[in-house]
Amino acid sequence: MKNVIETHDLQRIYQTYQKPEGLVNSIKGIWERKYDSKIALDKTSIKIEAGKIIGLVGANGAGKTTLLKILSGLVTPSSGDASVLGYRPWERKNDFLRQMSILLGQKNQLWWDISPLDSYALLARIYDLDVTHARKKVDELASVLDCKHVLNTQLRRLSLGERMKMEIIGALLHEPKILFLDEPTIGLDIVAQENIRHFLAKYVSEKEPTVILTSHYMDDIATLADSLLLISKGKIVYQGTVEQFTNNTNSELAHDEKVDFEEVIRRFLETESRVR
Amino acid sequence: MLTTGIEILLWVAVFKGAKSATIAGFSEANYLSYALWSAFFARIATSWMYEFKMVEEVSSGSINSIIVRPMSFYEYYLSQLMGYKVVTTFISLIIPIAAVFIFDLPTDLSRLPLATLLCFYYLFLVHTISFIISTMAFHFTKISSLTVAKNLFMWILMGELFPLDLLPEPYKTWVISLPFASGTFTPVAYITGRIGLQTVIEGFMSVTIGLVVLNLIGAYLWRRGLNTYVGTGA
Repeated sequence: MKNVIETHDLQRIYQTYQKPEGLVNSIKGIWERKYDSKIALDKTSIKIEAGKIIGLVGANGAGKTTLLKILSGLVTPSSGDASVLGYRPWERKNDFLRQMSILLGQKNQLWWDISPLDSYALLARIYDLDVTHARKKVDELASVLDCKHVLNTQLRRLSLGERMKMEIIGALLHEPKILFLDEPTIGLDIVAQENIRHFLAKYVSEKEPTVILTSHYMDDIATLADSLLLISKGKIVYQGTVEQFTNNTNSELAHDEKVDFEEVIRRFLETESRVR
Repeated sequence: MLTTGIEILLWVAVFKGAKSATIAGFSEANYLSYALWSAFFARIATSWMYEFKMVEEVSSGSINSIIVRPMSFYEYYLSQLMGYKVVTTFISLIIPIAAVFIFDLPTDLSRLPLATLLCFYYLFLVHTISFIISTMAFHFTKISSLTVAKNLFMWILMGELFPLDLLPEPYKTWVISLPFASGTFTPVAYITGRIGLQTVIEGFMSVTIGLVVLNLIGAYLWRRGLNTYVGTGA
């Protein structure tokens, strides 16, 4: 199967200014500037096939969001190369952006002061979509997500769960071939999380986009992901299936000890924090 | 309204103390007309509200939702600015037109469409300057002082405070040839009869040159800013 995402030695180093405390030191800091360099992504090479859901898992600060940001074109890498659907994402060509979507669980992308319906009308024009087809799509998605009753309410007045549903509709309106989901269920209650998972599973099985999903909820990864990418200190430390990773870990344990995926990841993250 | 009132009172006071009925060849009524219309055109020709929004979008990371979509940050805010200005211009036009008839102020209303067109064309330049300032937000945390300084600079050069043709040479020619005069002085002076069509045409040309230069600078700074952008908030 064809690879839709390929990266070669992709690296991102963040240089952050270390602002000293106090007024006098702050003034001194204008000419004596000290920077801290952090390697957020360290020469990462991956290949992802079309139509797969990839679960990207790692501790806080491991580089998950940085990888997502580079592949979606939000951020330019420091070195290395990447190809998503044949495009360099950070060149932000409109043809690439029309086929891609990113859902940021911690940041709204719809317009805060207008209703979701108005936002979708705007998006339809931004993505050059047929207006009738877009309206039909909104209707379909809103019916499945059971949120038709709030489509005309200002986004700022909706609950977190309802806002997330609206964000999902906005992200899928133009039927992207690549979907980046950065913690789509963060802050939601258990029922809302399950609803979103079921919806995403159904959507992906019907439309077959390529999905990269990051989440700290292992149920998201276990339910949805075909493959697992484990990232640690900016490096990919495992690439394979969820089942394989769990079996590998279980095979290293004592005969009478078997753990599930969530426990496996918890142990992995504990090891990572100890090593750090 | 308050600043317009103060300007009008100032011109009344100037003429009361002047030894002649005209200053630089124009009557008191002409200067009162200038004060009234300069306030109107100066309100059209500013974009500080949207500039603050643009800067805030870049600083807070809200720009993420624009970068990942096939849309231009420049065009997005330009369309918002123009939409707002068209609506507010039509509504607020009532006041100066009413004042012209009530106080019989010298104004050639047949020249108003071209004067307004020049002011709106100038708005593209204002927006480009706002765009350039917003790119500073990629590198600096607080840049509102840049907006304040820029606004003060442009307030003087636009001619809202006083007609620019009162300046002594060579400053008068130099300042009127800058694109900023097209924001207030040129359109107002045209409708109050201080200048002719030639100066208006030169105003269009001056703004065009300014647009070319500033757009090139803006495009460069935008690319540079995006290269260093870390996807704030994501």
